[in-house]
Amino acid sequence: MLRSVFGKSLWDQRRGIAVWSVAIAAVGVLYAAFYPSMNNPDMQAAMDAFPPELLEALGMTDITSAAGYLGSTTYGILGPILMIIFAGGLGVRAVAGDEEAGRMDVLLAHPVERWAVVLQRAAAMVVAIAVACVVLFLAMLAATGPAQLEDIGAANFAATTLQMGLLGLVFGSLGLAVGALTGSRGIAWGAVALVAVLSYLANTLGPTVDWLEWTQSASAFFYYSGGRPLANGLQVTDALVLVAMAVALVAIAILAFRRRDVAV
Amino acid sequence: MTAVIQTQQLAKYYGKRRGLESLDLEVRAGEIYGFLGPNGAGKTTTIRLLLDLLRPTGGTATVLGADPHAGGAALRRRLGYLPGDFVVDGGQTGRELLTHLGHLRGGVPRERIDGIADRLELDLKARIRSLSKGNRQKIGLVQAFMHEPELLILDEPTSGLDPLLQQTFLEMVREAKAAGQTVFMSSHVLSEVQHSADRVGIIRDGRMVAVEAVETLRRRSVRHVEIHFDNPVAPDAFVGLPGVSEVRVDGSVLRCRLAGRADGLVKMAARYPVESILVAEPDLEELFFTYYHANGEAREEATDAA
Repeated sequence: MLRSVFGKSLWDQRRGIAVWSVAIAAVGVLYAAFYPSMNNPDMQAAMDAFPPELLEALGMTDITSAAGYLGSTTYGILGPILMIIFAGGLGVRAVAGDEEAGRMDVLLAHPVERWAVVLQRAAAMVVAIAVACVVLFLAMLAATGPAQLEDIGAANFAATTLQMGLLGLVFGSLGLAVGALTGSRGIAWGAVALVAVLSYLANTLGPTVDWLEWTQSASAFFYYSGGRPLANGLQVTDALVLVAMAVALVAIAILAFRRRDVAV
Repeated sequence: MTAVIQTQQLAKYYGKRRGLESLDLEVRAGEIYGFLGPNGAGKTTTIRLLLDLLRPTGGTATVLGADPHAGGAALRRRLGYLPGDFVVDGGQTGRELLTHLGHLRGGVPRERIDGIADRLELDLKARIRSLSKGNRQKIGLVQAFMHEPELLILDEPTSGLDPLLQQTFLEMVREAKAAGQTVFMSSHVLSEVQHSADRVGIIRDGRMVAVEAVETLRRRSVRHVEIHFDNPVAPDAFVGLPGVSEVRVDGSVLRCRLAGRADGLVKMAARYPVESILVAEPDLEELFFTYYHANGEAREEATDAA
């Protein structure tokens, strides 16, 4: 683990990765545990009383089916938010956090190129997110029986969890890129939070306003949940769009960090 | 002799703020070069430019024959660097960090790491955040020295070390020189460079003010002399002797400043019964302030010496 910047990065963050993975999985399982109590005709009747636009905006359509319920809970808001905060932290720390703390000098005075530092830390971020996704997937699989989630199936859980991981990766890469551009942890976090909120609103509210409709197709959330992977399985094109966004952001991070002065 | 570090009109501005005005620096192979100046003179900026952590806004620099940026990882493999403020992740142990950094350098034998750590009385098993500032600085020294680089670039290396360890550090620097390594170290405390450096460069406001061999500095420098006689003496006899100034007589004790040869003063003193003579070592501190305060004169002297 101590041989490369990649391994060292994972080793240094091992506790954080473990805690986040368990926390995200716990949220998923807790939500799932409530599903049996939602799955009844009374609840459906109660939901029908709300205007459909509101339910759409809250991501709460079809709340009585297993896919609809989890799509508006675990995989609706809280799961993605936790994943984005987790990944954002990894991305922001990778360059800006280290730099602001004054830790970059020692590393960069060693025979490693700056692009390699960014790339290896991005790779460590991918692995960390993958670990959290696997833990979440296994937890949901274990909860399937007790929580009556058989309708969804392992393949769709895997697909949705993967797409959520990719959503996190996009925002982690954003934190990495803005951190590499500015060297500021605060600005990088601000960018992650701002873009995440705007993306979420663009995906949910954009389609309800004519002149904002186009914004949905720019939102990472759209490529995460727009194709309803819980019901429809892996959306290959959407997943590839998320990957492309992340790759573009990491490329920006590399170019930006190679060019500028490193702060003390 | 070939230059290991060479800069020409090297400049660094952070927007409008000066980091380095225009620096001409030459460090020769195998020497110990003391880079002196007050805080804010541009020492750290210079060093970070040499390591490609900063990009110059003007001038050129070569380190071991290569441009710091173009030289890349291959160049940095041949360097050892101690930052002025050695900060690493505090959650790891010294062993973890040094093993990792050793791997980045293509592997450093564990015995060598242990050897230097033992010498500095450093415990590698402790988490870094639990260590004192001095002990953290020791870890910084280990990572700079452990791969026996051709060139050591040390920014304020002895800060935080107690006097005994400063001696150990100076031994390490002398051994490095004996092994053919070049050492470039900055300081604002002159005494710590005085005993190890071959040459000293004095930087002020982002420019090199003077470069001299430590020997020359010492020879040209002013000594404080204190002579205790058996009986009271008259100051008149000593005033006006060659090189002697600021004569003060306090009963049987004479104090004065002596520049250059001591012959005149000694011969005059020999006319009286002398109990003891104290000559204070020439202090670079004093010279430094001569250069630092009297800028114009210092420039001329520097040109004479060169």
